[in-house]
Amino acid sequence: MTNSVPEFSEHTRCFLITGSNTTEAHPLVASHVMKAKERGAKVIVVDPRRVQIAQLADLYLQPRPGTDVAWLNGLMYVIVTEELADQEFIEKRTEGFEEMWRVVQQYPPERVEEITGIPADDLRAAARMYAQNKPAAVLYTMGITQHTTGVDNVKCIANLAMLTGNLGIPGGGVNPLRGQNNVQGACDMGGLPNVYPAYQPVTSPEAKAKFEAAWGVEGLSDRVGLTVVEMVHAAGEGRLRALYVMGENPLLSDPDIQHARECLEKLDFLVVQDIFPTETTELAHVVLPGAAFAEKDGTFTATDRRIQRVRKAVDPPGQAKADWEILCRLGQRLGAPGFDFASPEEIMAEITRVAPSYGGVTYERLDREGSLQWPVPAVDHPGTPYLHKEKFTRGLGRFHAIEFHEAAELPDEEYPFILTTGRIMFQYHTGTMTRRSPKLEQEAPEPYVEMHPDDAARIGLDGIRRVRVVSRRGAIEVAVRLTERIRPGVVFIPFHYAEAAANILTHAALDPVAKIPELKVCAVRVEPVP
Amino acid sequence: MDYRNILTICPYCGTGCGLYLQLLDGEIVGVLPAKEHPVSQGKLCIKGWNAAAFLRHPDRLKVPLIREGDRFREASWDEALGLVAERLLHIRDTYGPDAVGFLVSARCTNEENYLAQKLARAVFKTNNVDHCARL
Amino acid sequence: MTHADLLDTLRAHVSEKLPELDGVVGLRRTVVGTAPYLFRQGDDLSELVLSPRYPLASVVSLLQKRYPQARFGIVARACDLRALVEMAKRNQVDPDRLYILGVACTAEDAEECHCDAPSPKIEGWPHATVLGEPVPAGSPNPLIAEYDRMSLSERWAFWRAQFAKCIKCYGCRNICPECFCEVCALEDPLWVEPGVLAPPFPSFHLIRAMHMATRCVGCRQCELACPAHIPLTVLYDLLRRDVAELLGYEVGADLFAAPPLSLTLAE
Repeated sequence: MTNSVPEFSEHTRCFLITGSNTTEAHPLVASHVMKAKERGAKVIVVDPRRVQIAQLADLYLQPRPGTDVAWLNGLMYVIVTEELADQEFIEKRTEGFEEMWRVVQQYPPERVEEITGIPADDLRAAARMYAQNKPAAVLYTMGITQHTTGVDNVKCIANLAMLTGNLGIPGGGVNPLRGQNNVQGACDMGGLPNVYPAYQPVTSPEAKAKFEAAWGVEGLSDRVGLTVVEMVHAAGEGRLRALYVMGENPLLSDPDIQHARECLEKLDFLVVQDIFPTETTELAHVVLPGAAFAEKDGTFTATDRRIQRVRKAVDPPGQAKADWEILCRLGQRLGAPGFDFASPEEIMAEITRVAPSYGGVTYERLDREGSLQWPVPAVDHPGTPYLHKEKFTRGLGRFHAIEFHEAAELPDEEYPFILTTGRIMFQYHTGTMTRRSPKLEQEAPEPYVEMHPDDAARIGLDGIRRVRVVSRRGAIEVAVRLTERIRPGVVFIPFHYAEAAANILTHAALDPVAKIPELKVCAVRVEPVP
Repeated sequence: MDYRNILTICPYCGTGCGLYLQLLDGEIVGVLPAKEHPVSQGKLCIKGWNAAAFLRHPDRLKVPLIREGDRFREASWDEALGLVAERLLHIRDTYGPDAVGFLVSARCTNEENYLAQKLARAVFKTNNVDHCARL
Repeated sequence: MTHADLLDTLRAHVSEKLPELDGVVGLRRTVVGTAPYLFRQGDDLSELVLSPRYPLASVVSLLQKRYPQARFGIVARACDLRALVEMAKRNQVDPDRLYILGVACTAEDAEECHCDAPSPKIEGWPHATVLGEPVPAGSPNPLIAEYDRMSLSERWAFWRAQFAKCIKCYGCRNICPECFCEVCALEDPLWVEPGVLAPPFPSFHLIRAMHMATRCVGCRQCELACPAHIPLTVLYDLLRRDVAELLGYEVGADLFAAPPLSLTLAE
């Protein structure tokens, strides 16, 4: 996130929430939006489902899934043609406006309505509301990114924020709400195939030399590695022979999991380190028992770049060990230098030496100050609640000219519905933890498909409780739940449930840049269970 | 006779809410919201309130396991880590560094993720490092 | 007495009492934050503070149940003490094994909470004392007067809009010192359909409100814990007003007055 969650209740005057079921997936972010609403902030929600946060909305727009570039360009069309853009910001802090405008001017609201189904006047109203209530914050999540056009969608959001001067100010910004407690931190720490900690590229000779010196090794690879989905495919093709999985469950979270399973079965060696048996541990050659959050010390980094201490309250059960201890022991077993840490605090001390944005982090500061938001380059630096205050990382902010492209798999006669997936309040990701928490499981123990009653009537599902949802990849059986909050032609399935895994159906088509799978659009048909 | 609260961070979504684990004689007996936390401000969602509910679930993995045929047998840490080290090195040496991959974790700490990618890069010389950021 | 003086007096008093008790429940502030704690002999009492408020009565109940012979003390504001009164009537705390160290709220506290009884009343408690000067009641919550002026349909619309924001965290129940039932009607599918957001209106909140009649002591913990910023004290202040007017019962005021509704039996 460019900005901070507390800024939403304090400063933000308009929210554009899209592809985010904020109330259910980030409830305490929604809490700040609700507080802002009480003091008169405007709320625009754009989502194929009328999610709970839409109840607060001054404007609710319901696009066809996979058409985000079109309506985002449409918003910019209105803002520019009605002279609501922030000319000063565009002139002083950005470049590439003309190039962007050449594309955006082809997206008048009437054309956008044809593509997205959003009424042209609603789009105009949303553009005015967003542009005229500054600071305005865009909040989004996987509904924007899990598309073959995921990167394009995000670039359009950045365009929109720059066009209206909503970057570098408190309460504004481009704010992806990160889905996992430490997904931000895992990225910051270099848990990505293309970067070392703090986003230093593996292809950079300087970064390579720096880490070789810091780690006392030679010959670090300067080739970008494989992403999760690519690793799975490489396993299927025999290029990847061994996989070490720490605390992840790709066999429920990845797209097209039947295929993923076939691929991982071909591995010569699979190690899984986790706290519970999962769909993935079932295939492992070695399973190592790790520790849960309450059983170890360390830090998590929240979605607003907020580094915070996690503290040990109890011991792990049985012989289970903190994951950092397991990795240290394995490193030593491999005869590698630099794995003889006595505590997470010592590891953080090494991190601060190699990751400039974490340079000023100490456990003592985190205890005293509660949290630090990176970049926090030095111990006397207060941290950074919002980014891009004076200038962008690259100097001038660059507009991108983005054309709309359809999703990889569109509905047709055989598979007439768009399937979109997501989370619900009471379960979490692959359910490893929540499904073993009685008070969460009792709220939502059963997978279901959400469908518009008109669609159900049209395909003859009246009075039918269970259906088969079928895609080109596979089929699952679930209960059907009729609701008018979903767009006709679209069905929704939460992906938490192994017994009817939505990801049996989903499509592994990837965004060409970010390699993110298109989990939010694929074609399915729905039929009564025979 | 000991009652205290340990301040920590919710293990679920990325909002990073502050919560206290209530400890009675060293055992977690409940959760309290952290009223002084800058983001959550004394509030939690149902997942935060139940953040500790799974910790003592009987399914927890408690011992290293090694596959034998279609079953697992319990093993010591020494044996399990020895096998992991031996097999990973063998595969690296036989098929090259990029035949090994690591999935680090959005659920683990920064320190653990740092160590995991360091292991991949410094020891195995591969950048096949990723996690479920995209999922 | 200034707040600093009050804290000094309190700490001295706790220090004096600790040798004869198994511990004193209060708030402990360390470098990382403030939370409930069982102070024992030898602990650093400079860490004992009075805010932010947490439901300390629930901690006493937990400790007494775990240690049925022990004698604990509690640093109690007026609302903590009212909570203890209603808990004692329902066998959740044992007054004979409890030392009450009542602390008067400041006038600012009373105003912030719109509290109508900010000074602890220790009559009837076998072991109790009060520190600090009584202060006047805070001004009434302005939302109550606003609510009183509404028509029935406006009231309905008001609550419908408020409860539509509910995210079903159960925080209002979880933090409530008077919600100690092991089986909760809010989790019974017979009464409340599970997994629905916002939970069914008005049943979810009315069920809770009905169960809190003669129990809600107006500590405001529910409202402070509500992520949806629902003004729950309005609902519960009105409930307490009705209980007082219709049933002549002032919740939490008198350790010996029998609660007029026997809801505890039905649960």
